[in-house]
Amino acid sequence: MQLLANALIAGSLAALIAGGLALVYGTLGVFNLALGQMVLIGGYVTWWLHQSLGLPLTVSIIGGLVTGSLVSWLTFELFINPFYKRHRFLPLVTTISLSMILDAVILLLFEERPLSILPGAKHMLEIAGVRIGQEHIILILLTILLLAIFAYVLHSTPFGRKIRAVVQNDHAAMSLGIRAFAMHRLIFILSGVLAACGGIFIGIDHSLTPVLGFPLTIKAYAAVIAGGKGNFWGAIVCAYLIALLEQLAIGIHWFGAFYIPAGYQQTVALLVIIIFLLFRPDGIFGSSSRAA
Amino acid sequence: MQNHLEFPPILMKKALSFVSLCALALSACQPAGDNDPIKIGFIGPLTGDVASIGTTELSGAQLKIEEINAAGGINGRQIELIVEDARCTGADAASAAQKLIHVDKVVAIHGGECSGETLAAAPIAEEAGVILLSPASSSPDVAEAGDFVFRNYPNDALKTIAMANYLEEQGFNKIAVITENTDFTIAFLESLRGEVAEDAIIFSEIVEPGTKDFRTLITRLKDMEFDVFFPNGQTPVFSATVVKQMREQGLEQPVITHDTADSVDYVEVGGESVEGSKIISIPSITDDSEFGSTFLARFDTPAASLAWAAYGYDAIGVLAEAIAEVGTDGAAMRDYLYGLKAYNGVIGTFSFDENGDVVGVTYALKDIQDGEFVIVSDITVE
Repeated sequence: MQLLANALIAGSLAALIAGGLALVYGTLGVFNLALGQMVLIGGYVTWWLHQSLGLPLTVSIIGGLVTGSLVSWLTFELFINPFYKRHRFLPLVTTISLSMILDAVILLLFEERPLSILPGAKHMLEIAGVRIGQEHIILILLTILLLAIFAYVLHSTPFGRKIRAVVQNDHAAMSLGIRAFAMHRLIFILSGVLAACGGIFIGIDHSLTPVLGFPLTIKAYAAVIAGGKGNFWGAIVCAYLIALLEQLAIGIHWFGAFYIPAGYQQTVALLVIIIFLLFRPDGIFGSSSRAA
Repeated sequence: MQNHLEFPPILMKKALSFVSLCALALSACQPAGDNDPIKIGFIGPLTGDVASIGTTELSGAQLKIEEINAAGGINGRQIELIVEDARCTGADAASAAQKLIHVDKVVAIHGGECSGETLAAAPIAEEAGVILLSPASSSPDVAEAGDFVFRNYPNDALKTIAMANYLEEQGFNKIAVITENTDFTIAFLESLRGEVAEDAIIFSEIVEPGTKDFRTLITRLKDMEFDVFFPNGQTPVFSATVVKQMREQGLEQPVITHDTADSVDYVEVGGESVEGSKIISIPSITDDSEFGSTFLARFDTPAASLAWAAYGYDAIGVLAEAIAEVGTDGAAMRDYLYGLKAYNGVIGTFSFDENGDVVGVTYALKDIQDGEFVIVSDITVE
């Protein structure tokens, strides 16, 4: 049970980041390699507002989200929009350079010291033998709520139908009068907001350091690819699944004989995914037709 | 091997003029006269992640040199420090050592700071017969690095003995360790294993640097009986994060760790969770000590602990004493340093053993009380 709680904490974080990424990949076909840095910016700005300026936590979080959306909007206009229609691999290069720029900016503004939005121990609760922080419960519930809102918008509103149409085929969608490029921009900014949520999550759960960016990007991609390219729900389920696998790998006394060394935690989880993809190359939830 | 490269004439001309320029530059290097300054080299990280330590060491070294020069120098000759940035990498340290020894013709080198720097510069200094004195490298390998290689910073092997002694004193014989996977921490873990009873380490996991989620390892710890927890991190953030998550899971065992946690970051990240953590570290130098106030009158507040500046200061001090006593010949300086009875420095009264390792520098056992590092006792390790 404790393992499950641990996996929920880690998985919610990964799901926030991977969900936005899957939408962007599904609609724009673009790899955004600066995603991890966009995550950090959301977290760092929240830290700055809360710890340096002393604003209340909720205001700081809103500030972090707004900054996250601004950064992703600028990213879209400067690093994605001029390029991605020419060749879908061009943003690969531009976002790598952006990630380096942002790394340097973060280092310059916030220095390499670790920063924690809420320092100190969490307020722990014990529920049926599972110890979990109040903050964690709130973070998990908020993530699920956010995803539920997303699900509703995506599947039950006219706006969501437009998004799904663009994901399936943007040219066909345009012929039906949907402004696909405007949708692209919107989806990219949405992914930036989700990423900023992830950054705030990290800042509250433990601490922000400038080197976190790239590993976050890699993990989110693992979930997206395992979930089936561009499959929003697939990515989310896989984010939780990878987190659970990671916890099980090192938390279970395998066959009553040994533990897998903790250094192999991520390796084992990703290995399982690779084996799965050998049998289902379209991803665990992938199908031959693209769907959102 | 035959050279098949053919230069166009114009390039050839340029190359020739470059070579003759170099020859000219080299011929300018005459043997030093009696009134020329004595050159000492400096190798350390002045940019990059460890720059705070490198620049603080450099300020300490500069302070000592300014004091010596203001007092008339060594036998009437001034000291000149030639500074090279090695960025905490072996490759940069090796080229810095080549340049300092063969171009600048320094009589001794203060450095490197990172163990990787010192180990890379050591063979070059050894071959040229130039003293290399490190004020910061703690890797056990530095002891074996050569006859001309010294350090006034204690060897990690001593720190593990100090920790093992402490554990034994307290009657802790079931130890749980979580280690961040780096050269320093793995070496520390291995030497600690050799110092404590064979089955004393009952839980040991090694995780990749940058890991932030230790909850599952701690879930496993909850089912075990252990006396003391040792977060073996390269960075204070790592150790603080493990301890924090451990306290969150309701584990109340005492915590002990080494000098990497001797940083405000440890307290800032850990908050009340790290209260009462014991840390085996070098003694701190306070701002209002004699060295502290002299240093702060000359330089801004350093980026790293003042203790680093004191090590840099003493390294120049002991080198200057050797030069004053036996001159600038490398072999004579080496013999002098090995034979040195005691040098009375800021960090303590020290000498060198047969490996060039420092003897006489004590460790301090620190405790965290109300978010402050408090020295509980000095630990002397033989």
